Amino acid sequence: MSRAVRWTGGRAVGTAVVAVTLLSASPPVRLSGQDSQFGIRGLGTPGRWESVRSRSTGGAFGPFDPLSPLMEAPLADIGQLTATAAGGTSHRDVAVGGTTTALRATRFPLMGVAGPVGRRVAVAAGFTTYLDKSWDVTLRDSLLLRGVLQRHTDELTSDGSVADVRLAAASRLSRRIAIGAGVHVLAGSTRMTAERRFDDSSFQRVRQSAEVRYDGLGVSGSVLIGVAPGLSIAGWARSDNRLRAKVAETTSAITDLPRMAGGGLLFAPSPSARVAASAVWRSWSRAGVGAFDTWSWSAGAEFGSRRMPIRLGARGGQMPSGPGTKAPTEVAGSLGTGRAFAQGRALIDLGLERLERRGGGLIERVWTVLVGLTVRP
Amino acid sequence: MTRRRLAVAGAVLLVAACVERLTAPGDCPDYCPSGQITIVDTLLTTSISRDSSYRGYVLAYQSSVMLAAHLPSATGTLDSRPIFRINGYGSRFRISTTDTTTGAILGADSARLQLYLVRRDTATHNLRLHLYRLPITIDTSTTFGSVVPFTDSLRSVNIDTLLAQPGRKDTVTGDSVVVDTVNHRLVLSLKLDSPTARYVGTDSGTVAYGIRIAADTLASLALGKGSFGPVLQWYIRVDSGATPGGVARTPGTLGAGFASFVFNPPPAPLDSTLAVGGVPSAHSLLRVAFPKFIRDSSQIIRGTLFLVPAVPARGAPADSFVIEARTVFADFGAKSPIDPRLGDTTVIHPDSTRTVKIEVTNLLQLWAADSTHPTVLVVRPQAEAQFFGEIRLYPSVAPAFRPTLQVTFVRRFPFGVP
Repeated sequence: MSRAVRWTGGRAVGTAVVAVTLLSASPPVRLSGQDSQFGIRGLGTPGRWESVRSRSTGGAFGPFDPLSPLMEAPLADIGQLTATAAGGTSHRDVAVGGTTTALRATRFPLMGVAGPVGRRVAVAAGFTTYLDKSWDVTLRDSLLLRGVLQRHTDELTSDGSVADVRLAAASRLSRRIAIGAGVHVLAGSTRMTAERRFDDSSFQRVRQSAEVRYDGLGVSGSVLIGVAPGLSIAGWARSDNRLRAKVAETTSAITDLPRMAGGGLLFAPSPSARVAASAVWRSWSRAGVGAFDTWSWSAGAEFGSRRMPIRLGARGGQMPSGPGTKAPTEVAGSLGTGRAFAQGRALIDLGLERLERRGGGLIERVWTVLVGLTVRP
Repeated sequence: MTRRRLAVAGAVLLVAACVERLTAPGDCPDYCPSGQITIVDTLLTTSISRDSSYRGYVLAYQSSVMLAAHLPSATGTLDSRPIFRINGYGSRFRISTTDTTTGAILGADSARLQLYLVRRDTATHNLRLHLYRLPITIDTSTTFGSVVPFTDSLRSVNIDTLLAQPGRKDTVTGDSVVVDTVNHRLVLSLKLDSPTARYVGTDSGTVAYGIRIAADTLASLALGKGSFGPVLQWYIRVDSGATPGGVARTPGTLGAGFASFVFNPPPAPLDSTLAVGGVPSAHSLLRVAFPKFIRDSSQIIRGTLFLVPAVPARGAPADSFVIEARTVFADFGAKSPIDPRLGDTTVIHPDSTRTVKIEVTNLLQLWAADSTHPTVLVVRPQAEAQFFGEIRLYPSVAPAFRPTLQVTFVRRFPFGVP
C-alpha cells in the first residue's frame, strides 16, 4: 500500500471517528426526527427515512439512495462497506391561538451501516426514527376545589421516540432489476411527566412520571428497475403490525400501524444532472380516531459532480394526525450540498430545509439545518 | 485545508447540538395530550375512630419556662406562681484567691437577682412583680396549697415603671431592666439589700423564692429557666480573722437548682372530649382508617384534619398557642412513640370556638408511601407545658361534630395512551 493511500485511509478513519464522536455525544433518547405539535394528540410525528442527501432533494432521491432506509433494493449497488449518520437542528415557530412560540431541537434521526456480502447480495442494518414523541406543553387553567376556584399551571412532557431498527438485504437480479426486503423492529421509549402547580401553595405540586416502552414489528419489500439508460423507477411497500405501549410491564395501549406503499422515478440525462420524483401513501387512519391516511410527494434534483454536488428539492403532503376532519398539510423546500474527502472515503452532506405545516388553526414554520456523515473505510 | 473544513463542520454541529427548547403553550384540546391530570377531593367523615386523650406528658417542673399568671374570670381566678431554689456556697468561703484558706461566711451585704422575662403581654399595664421568700424545702412535689399564700415578702417592682426610667434603671432601688430586642425578652435585675438578701450559713446559703404578679388587667408572663435564669449574684462578707467585720467577696453567680411553678385551679379532669395542651400537658390520639383507594392513589396533594371545639379554648388571652399533629412509630396508646420527622401545626386562639384545621398533607403522604406505618395521629401542644392554653375537641363519638379528614389526591395519569 502506497504512502498516499495509507494517508487518505487514515483521513477516512479520522473522519469516521469525528462522525461517531459528534453523533454519539447526545443521549439515545434524542435519536428522533422532526417534532411537531400535530403529533401530540396522535401517535407522534412520523420520522423521515432519508439521508441528508435525499432530504436535501425534498426526499425525491430517497427510493434510489442506498443510505436512505426507505427502500432496500438500492442497497444492491452499495459496492463497498459504508456507514452513515445524520443530525439536524430545527428552529420551529408554532403559531396557534394568536400566539407564536419559538422552539428549538437537535435530533440525530439516522444511523446505519451497509455493505455487500457475496457477489449479488448486500445487507444493511441501522435505525431511524419511526415516530418522534418529544413535546412539552404548558397549560393555564382552573378548577373548583373545596369550594374555591383554584388556578393552576400544568406541564405535560414527553421525551423520546420510537426507533425503526431495520435489517435489510438486497440483490441485483439482473442488470435492470434489483430487489430488496427488510425486517423492521420498532422499539423505543418515552419519559413522560405530568406536573400541576397550584397558585395556592396549600395544594402541593402534582408530579407524576412514567417510562412508556413501545414495540412493534414490520416487513418491507422493494424493487428497482432500470427502464432505460439513465432512467429508473422504484416501488416499495411496507406493513407494520401494531405499536404496543407498556407502562411498568402493563400494556396501556395497542395501536394499529399503517401499511404504506410508494414509488419513484429517477432520470439522469447526464453524469452531472439527476432529477427524481416520488410519492408515498400511508394508511395512518388505522391508528384510530383523529388519524388520517396520507399522501406525500417530492421532487428534486442534483447537479454537478458527485464530489461536490448542488441539491434542491420540494415536497408536500399530509400529516397523519390533527384536529377536525381534514388532515393537516405540509410543504417544504430544501437545498444542500456535499463534499467528498479522502478520495471519496468520507463524505459530509449539508442541507437546509424550510417547512410549513398547516391545519386546525395551527401553523408551524421550521428551519432545519442538516449534517450527514458517510464513511467508506 | 480538509482538516480545517472538518473542524468547521464539527464546530457547527456541536453548537447546533447545544440548543433544546420544546416547551410550548398548549392549545387544548386540539394540541394537548388526550390524558389529563384528574384530581379528587373527598371528605372522610367516619375514618377517625377510637380516639382518646391522655394527660401528664410534661409537668410544671419539666417545663422550660416558669409561668406566672393572675387571670380573673367569671369561673374563678387562675393564679400561677413561679417558685425556685438557689443553692448557696456553704457556710465557708475562700478568704483569698491566692490560697485555699477559708473563712466562715458572716452574711451578705447584698445580692442581685436576675430574671428573664421570655414572654409577656405588652398590652398589660402596670405589671407588678412581687418577690417572696419561700422555705428551702420546695421541690417537685410542692403544690400550690402547700406554699400559698406567700407570706415573707421581699421586694416588689413595677416593670412598666422601670422600663420608663432613664436608662431603664431605678437609681433608688438599684433595679434595672435590659430589653433584648433580638430575642424579644427582658432581663430584669433586682437588687436585694442586706435585710432581704439573707445568707444563712446553716442552710449552706440556700434560698428559695416565689413570685407573684399583678397588673391593672389580666397578667400573664413566662420566666426563663435553666440557661435563661434565674441567676443570683451574692455579695458576701467572709471572716478573715484579721479584718473586723470580715472581708467583702463577690463569688460567681448561681443558677437555680430547682425551678417550677404552682398554680390554681388545677386543670379540669379529662372527660369524653379530646384535650390538647394545658399543664401538665395533654395529648389526644386519633386512629385513622386510611382508605385503600387513597393509599393506592398516585399522590396526595392536600390533607386537612378538621376538629370542632367542644368549648372555647382556655388560656391567657394574649397567649395563643400552637398545637401540632404528628404520627407515631407504633400504637401503644398513651405511650405511643411519636415520630418526630414530620408534623403539621396550627395556632389556637384562647376563647375561640372556630373549627380547628390542621394541614396534615405530609403525614398522609407518609402513610401512603409506607403501608406499615401506623395510621395514628397525635395532636399535642408544640410547646408542652409552656402555656396554660388548652382546647377541648369533640371526639368521634359525637356524630355531628366528630373529627374529619379532607383529602385531595390525584389519580394515576394515563401514560402511554395516545
